[in-house]
Amino acid sequence: MIELKEVSLEYQNGTLALKDINLHIGQGELVYIAGPSGSGKTSLLKLLMGMENPTAGTVTVLGKSLTNAKPRKISRIRRKIGPVFQDLKLIPGRSALENVLMGVRFLNFSWAKKNENALIAIERVGLAHKAYSMVENLSLGELQRVALARAIAREPKIIIADEPTANLDHDNAVNIFNILSSLKNQNITVIVATHATHLFDPKENFTLIRMDQGSISIEKRFCSNGERDIDTQMHQRSIRVERRGDV
Amino acid sequence: MKNFISNIGYFFKEARRICRTNKLSNVFTFLGTTLVLLLLALAVAGWSVSSRLVFMLEREAEVSAFFHNSISQSEAQALAGQIATFDGVLDASVIDEAEAFNRMEDILADEAGVLELFDENPFEAYIEIRIKPQKVSQIVEKLNNLPQIESVRDNKDILDQLSSLTNALSAIGYLVVIAVGITTIIIISHMIRQGIYNNREQINTLRLLGAPGSFIGLPFVLVGMLITISAGMLALGIALLLILYSYGRIGSTLSFIPLPVKSELMLIVTTVLVSVSVLLGILGSVFGLSSITKKSSPSS
Ligand SMILES: Nc1ncnc2c1ncn2[C@@H]1O[C@H](COP(=O)(O)OP(=O)(O)O)[C@@H](O)[C@H]1O
Ligand SMILES: [Mg+2]
Repeated sequence: MIELKEVSLEYQNGTLALKDINLHIGQGELVYIAGPSGSGKTSLLKLLMGMENPTAGTVTVLGKSLTNAKPRKISRIRRKIGPVFQDLKLIPGRSALENVLMGVRFLNFSWAKKNENALIAIERVGLAHKAYSMVENLSLGELQRVALARAIAREPKIIIADEPTANLDHDNAVNIFNILSSLKNQNITVIVATHATHLFDPKENFTLIRMDQGSISIEKRFCSNGERDIDTQMHQRSIRVERRGDV
Repeated sequence: MKNFISNIGYFFKEARRICRTNKLSNVFTFLGTTLVLLLLALAVAGWSVSSRLVFMLEREAEVSAFFHNSISQSEAQALAGQIATFDGVLDASVIDEAEAFNRMEDILADEAGVLELFDENPFEAYIEIRIKPQKVSQIVEKLNNLPQIESVRDNKDILDQLSSLTNALSAIGYLVVIAVGITTIIIISHMIRQGIYNNREQINTLRLLGAPGSFIGLPFVLVGMLITISAGMLALGIALLLILYSYGRIGSTLSFIPLPVKSELMLIVTTVLVSVSVLLGILGSVFGLSSITKKSSPSS
């Protein structure tokens, strides 16, 4: 459902942000992308949303190729994604609820469903009491939760979240991670770029993509009996460690 | 479609918000558009008054064809019938000597006594031909080619002037319509562009969320249409008041000017202004919107 084949991304200024990446993500998978600042996490997520075009290779999302796709086609795919941008991209001058609604207005839901989804999502991120506050009056942590609510309310096939807990305290961050990993049970693919590797939900199976200077290595982690550890046997069998290109 | 209907409320709210965020500039747009459309209204009114005038004058356009004395009354009638079939001839009829005399009496009115100085009727019979003034040259040439016709008297100079006046008037009319059209489209599309620029972050976000161009653009089209149409209504109101006022004044002081019927004139001005402002509102908005669609590359 998400497939990257030999993908590279070089920015106009010559920065090689992604190097020869091969990646497959299945429906309903929970994927964490970890790595230091500047390692290419955001660039990878941007490719998945058609915000950047790969300079080499092919990107396929939900079975549709994004390479040289027309704007209309990209829009159609984006409608099935719930994005949480690193810079949030909330719309100023509006309430939290209005911001969430802005993400669903043009989706093919009934009028009632749009409103219902928005309210439920706001509640789910614990902001029901701030639903009618202007975004200007919310804290950074609250804004991050509004952005997540906007993504969830869209009933997307994929959630793509770029450092969604960067400004949250521990409790709130755990809360966000719980929400994100619970989405997996609704068969939503959840892709989260984060530094907070210590917050990974121990009760979930997930894929960990480690990024370093534009290259990735992939580990699949499975939990057994509530205790998570890397099953070395599984590890050896199922992990394809990709480390191509110059480092 | 279902989506469109459920979003109508949102589109209007957005349109109001867009209007408010750039209030001063939009007020100027509104006033500018009103003035331009008022100009159009006045041009339409002026055009319909003068075309009425020209129509009245054209009805008077005629040439007189004098035929040989040898021709009998019935031959003259047949000749008139033949001339009536010429292209550009409205009708042709024989005016005999007696009628020619009577007409001159009518024209001279009080001074008709002068005619009594003649021993016998000094007037000749002729064929009076009412024509379309634009066709005068061709018609006169054709008449001269007829063997029965001795001479032709035309008021070609006057007729030529009349038809060049008509042409000039319609040229000015078209020019005004084109100028108004272009000006309005420029004003409105510039306003839309400004609105798009002011809302570029929101537009960008909506695009990243996968909103279709129509969803993003509709509020802006709405703003363009609402401003143009309301400017059109204001211009119409002013124009109608001006017409009422002028009819009051001209009607009494310059009563010889053949004005069109007041209600007809008002109907014409209303029809033109309403349809033109709706059309220009849509066109202006669409031109303005093209700056959204052009920019919809994936990296935004
Ligand atoms: N628009 C851009 N133009 C040029 N270079 C960029 C751009 N965006 C990111 N980069 C560079 O690409 C590399 C990867 O950046 P990014 O994907 O944002 O990493 P991360 O999200 O892991 O911090 C960095 O070296 C960054 O400076
Ligand atoms: Mg980043």
